Amino acid sequence: MIGARRDGFLLAALGAWVLTPIAVLIVRAFAQSWRFPQILPDATDAWPALSAAGTGRVTSALIASLALALATGLFGTVIGFLIARSAVRVGRRFQQLTLAAAFFTVIAPPIALGVGLQVAVLGIGLGGTFTGVFLAHLVPVTGYLTLFAVGVFASFDLSLEDEARTLGASPWQVLSRIVVPLLGRRLGEGLILGGLVSWGQLAITLLVGGGVVRTLPVELLSMVQSGNDQAGAFAALMLSLPPMFAIGLLTVGARRTGASL
Amino acid sequence: MTIRNGLELSHAYVPFGEKTGLEDVNLQVARGERVALLGPSGVGKTSLLRAIAGLGKLSSGTVRVDGRDVTAAPPEGRGIVYMHQSPSLFPHVSVLDNVAFPLEVRGVPRSAARAAATELLERVRLRSAALRQPSTLSGGQRHRVALARALAADPAVLLLDEPFASLDPGLRAEVRDAVVDLLERGDGPAVLLVTHDVDEAAGLADRLAVLLQARIAQIGVPAEVLACPRSLAVARFVGLPNLMRGVRDRRAVVTCALGAFDRPGPPGPVVVTARGGALRVRARQGGATIGTVRGLVDRVHGTAVRIDVDGERLLAVPELGLQLEVGASVDVVVDPTSLHVIEEPADGD
Repeated sequence: MIGARRDGFLLAALGAWVLTPIAVLIVRAFAQSWRFPQILPDATDAWPALSAAGTGRVTSALIASLALALATGLFGTVIGFLIARSAVRVGRRFQQLTLAAAFFTVIAPPIALGVGLQVAVLGIGLGGTFTGVFLAHLVPVTGYLTLFAVGVFASFDLSLEDEARTLGASPWQVLSRIVVPLLGRRLGEGLILGGLVSWGQLAITLLVGGGVVRTLPVELLSMVQSGNDQAGAFAALMLSLPPMFAIGLLTVGARRTGASL
Repeated sequence: MTIRNGLELSHAYVPFGEKTGLEDVNLQVARGERVALLGPSGVGKTSLLRAIAGLGKLSSGTVRVDGRDVTAAPPEGRGIVYMHQSPSLFPHVSVLDNVAFPLEVRGVPRSAARAAATELLERVRLRSAALRQPSTLSGGQRHRVALARALAADPAVLLLDEPFASLDPGLRAEVRDAVVDLLERGDGPAVLLVTHDVDEAAGLADRLAVLLQARIAQIGVPAEVLACPRSLAVARFVGLPNLMRGVRDRRAVVTCALGAFDRPGPPGPVVVTARGGALRVRARQGGATIGTVRGLVDRVHGTAVRIDVDGERLLAVPELGLQLEVGASVDVVVDPTSLHVIEEPADGD
């Protein structure tokens, strides 16, 4: 009984801890002003936030973020799964090296990774371009997706591919008729995960995009720096929606297939 | 010599990790023939099969299929089908689509491929399961479907990696019968199967190849390998129960615990072997070697007797109706022509 009560308390505390920033964002997005020591704002008016979010700059930033997320998710999934598949097949040493390299892109401070990527992208003449930012985002996205895909392939029966090959299937047929159908859900999850990693990138975008490529996080930072907290809160909510949507989508998908999230 | 039909492996060296696992393997399996590769765990049997199928590498050597050099060909271009120990049926398609798979990837129209697959399922008595998912099949049924799928590829060579290892004894018989029924002689595929079960190999294969210490230690028809092992290691691996110290004198007379018999060869210590059934035990009548009963062994094929003869522990078959007690003296009768001499000293000699 005491254990159940303690678990319930811990769960509630965790929920409050996680949801508080979202709750504050929602309140701030609809508050005209909200200053210390007020517990709650005096008056609400969403119009200023809506009109700020509806400007051409925010809309084009939203489109840029969506395009980057989709492109990096797609390419990152393909690259990450191919690297992971090779790593699992080739052997333990190569697998460990691959995991270490992938893990570095995940744990390295984004600002440090961003500086390196900035130099590299400027070196190929793509600084301040959408393509340059796409290539830069692809690095951490591929890292995340390689780690994810190594886990996926660890439980994938590679003998299916072997038997398919000796039964006459070409590598392409094995991929299209065996691997992709069997990993369909996992590929979808990879696409979403990769898109979300790109969706939240700020440091890399600023460094490589040089302020020319403006994504939603860049616009959000600009709003907050200029003191437009209400519009900033609204943009932050927009930025938080895809992750929430992804969790819902993955939960529904997991329920349909009987798997766990 | 190159065989025109079937599998020919010449001077094959198979790596095992960073070391060489198998050395200078030479093997020919004709179309319609079944050869069993026997060997202890870890000797490299599976690595050899995978290398033949193109799923692993040969350090050197050549693989020919129906006279064609396929050493550098990809797995799908060799005419060789490799079946895993636990059949890997594709879990996302039906049994019928599993069997139709080899035909469809070769460009056979879907309807024709499914019709051919249905016929093959009929041959393995699983037509009624055509639309089921593989996960709903029993272990034996999965093996039969995998066999039907392998044959749908119309291979020149079929490699079976421990085909019965994952099955319990009852299902083993079912799948073994299916293998025998399905694999035609004549123009059927050359079959190379890996197993460590000597009885199973002897019952199924036309020839046995024993892999020991990185090489093929002996290859021949089952009766020859089991009755006349070329070395003590082969005799031990195939499980010959009666290995006796012997010595051959200058007159070519070999003397062992069971007596003396003529067998040409150089003088010196030898090992004399006899299959379990070659020794018979009867009540004391005289005129035969005397042994002492040490115990009875109940086996699937009948009861055997453990006996001591002049310090050697042997296994023999009792005469029908003979009542035996531990410690009793018995006559041990043996036909000297059934004894085999291995030209090497026994351990400790």
